[in-house]
Amino acid sequence: MKTAALIGNPNVGKTSLFNSLTGSNQYVGNWAGVTVEKKEGFMNEDLKIVDLPGIYAMDTFSSEEKVAKEFLASGEADFIINIVDASNLERNLYLTTQIKEYNTPILLVLNMMDVAAAKGLEIDTELLSRKLGVTVVTISASKGKGLDELKSLLDRGDFLRVPIENDFQFQDEREAYDYISGILSAAVKKKDEHKRTNTEKIDKVALNKFLAYPLFFLILWLIFELTFSWVGQPLAGYLSYLVDDVLVPALGSLLSSSSPWFSSLIIDGIIGGVGSVIVFLPVIMTLFLGISFLEDCGYMARAAFIMDKAMRKMGLSGKAFIPMIVGFGCSVPGIMTARTLESEKDRKLTALLVPLMSCNARLPVYALFASVFFPGRESAVVFSLYLLGILLAFLLGMLFKRTIFKKDEEPFIIELPEYKAPELKNLMNHTWDKGKDFLKKAGTLIFSVSVVVWLLSNFNFGGMTDINNSILASLGGFVSPVFAPLGFASWQNAVSLITGLMAKEVVLGTMGVIYGGSLAAALQSQFTPASAYSFLVFVLLYTPCVSVIATMKKEFGSWLAAFSVTYQLVLAWIVSALVYRIALLVM
Amino acid sequence: MSITDLKLGEKAYIDSISGDSKLMKRLMALGCTEGTEVCLKNCAPFGDPLVINLRGCDFCIRKKDAKNISIKDNL
Repeated sequence: MKTAALIGNPNVGKTSLFNSLTGSNQYVGNWAGVTVEKKEGFMNEDLKIVDLPGIYAMDTFSSEEKVAKEFLASGEADFIINIVDASNLERNLYLTTQIKEYNTPILLVLNMMDVAAAKGLEIDTELLSRKLGVTVVTISASKGKGLDELKSLLDRGDFLRVPIENDFQFQDEREAYDYISGILSAAVKKKDEHKRTNTEKIDKVALNKFLAYPLFFLILWLIFELTFSWVGQPLAGYLSYLVDDVLVPALGSLLSSSSPWFSSLIIDGIIGGVGSVIVFLPVIMTLFLGISFLEDCGYMARAAFIMDKAMRKMGLSGKAFIPMIVGFGCSVPGIMTARTLESEKDRKLTALLVPLMSCNARLPVYALFASVFFPGRESAVVFSLYLLGILLAFLLGMLFKRTIFKKDEEPFIIELPEYKAPELKNLMNHTWDKGKDFLKKAGTLIFSVSVVVWLLSNFNFGGMTDINNSILASLGGFVSPVFAPLGFASWQNAVSLITGLMAKEVVLGTMGVIYGGSLAAALQSQFTPASAYSFLVFVLLYTPCVSVIATMKKEFGSWLAAFSVTYQLVLAWIVSALVYRIALLVM
Repeated sequence: MSITDLKLGEKAYIDSISGDSKLMKRLMALGCTEGTEVCLKNCAPFGDPLVINLRGCDFCIRKKDAKNISIKDNL
């Protein structure tokens, strides 16, 4: 079994090549200790390919570069597949000069030959190969050209042995680039004059002083519509119907002869709990699909560019805007998208702030309370909650930046790649992988929490009972004094908030079960306008649902997940209490 | 003179870069070395960040960082 390291600059089609070579034989994980995705795949039983992160150089500073460097230094790779953008050889070859130092055979793959041709470039690959001392292959991955030749070359495995000379020990970047320019002036001929590219034409609009922001918000709105009106939500509704109206009754009759606690465990506990989460999987995936589309076509870089100035006030860079916006739909894809940020610290900081963007699942809770306590002013109330979340994100961003995320900002240099049509196949694969991943990893946590919540709400030490006499109720009673300064201390409210850990809509579901009868009437007797608002603030800010915690843990580790849970609880309590005091004075 | 003194669309040769060491390293790895041609292509709606073209690729960079890229003369 041979191992190949796949390395190259970002935006050169590396992922596309990796997918073409490994198909569905891929495994995605994390490189140890960093929030960098590790992808390994098999072309066949004899060749393992390790996809290293897209990097420009090996010696600057990012986690990605560290990972690549360590992997190449480990000697695990028998050879290196270095993919470069044929239409932009100069900068791409800088990395090539750096990896030559590892004395491992290099197969230089010139991708995007079609783009090079369109730019009027003619490349003498023979000369390139000789001068650099590597085997050169040309492909157009997106057009499917040259892939078969590449695969058979990989099978045969006859590459030039790397001569151990000092050709590639350059003093500094300038020497390296001078060397590269020398080679390229001989090996590359440019035929046509510079023509206005499609990218420039599109950017005239996308980066236009007046059109940039409206266009950006229009695109975001489209993604949300796609998610909540056209695809995601309807699919979720269908799944919900399948679970509630097909699966549950079917199981009900199947289990009718077994003991009540068992059928309740299966139906109310497991299906109920896990079901309430699985059902919004289509929403998560649609959001993620939309974001991936923007990323792949090249627009994301432009979005980061125009939002950078504003995001800096929050202690973040323009790249963080998208994860935050996505968080307004659902924090899960928001946190997943935080991976695209430049540095570890930025990713973690963003992931901590994303849950403060009020997600969609909280809306039903706001809507009900607002209609009961603030009729006629519902929009203002709900809007104020969203604003509060954003404001706190700014404040906390600045706070965290000065304290736990203190060290230097990563420099902000983002490439604006050429626009290109995303490959649908890649997009679908990527989204489906993320969805599958979420189900697998988050699934276990969600499953366990569902069972635990079910146990606590259906039992007490005397055996099976209803929720009013359950352990959860006692727990609620025990915890509820904590909510006294917030104005809504009662075991019922505490219990509802605890079950809200499953999914925020469950808060209402539980209240419905506990209070019975008309929820609106029950609420009126349990809350005042002031305590209702403080309750909503608490719902806005406290620990998000178990799916979010699971995603945090999977993407950033248990420590950050635990910190996130804790700080949000504390923040929710403090702000809620403050709001209640102020509300008492005002209302 | 720095890149920020150029008008949109103007080109110049790099003289030197200073400032944050991480930024410098990253810029140099991208080919921002002495004598390299650079073009100030665009800027964001509020004037910050900027888009510069370096060895055939567009990059966005913050104004305060771009101030540290000094240039030799206009082309």
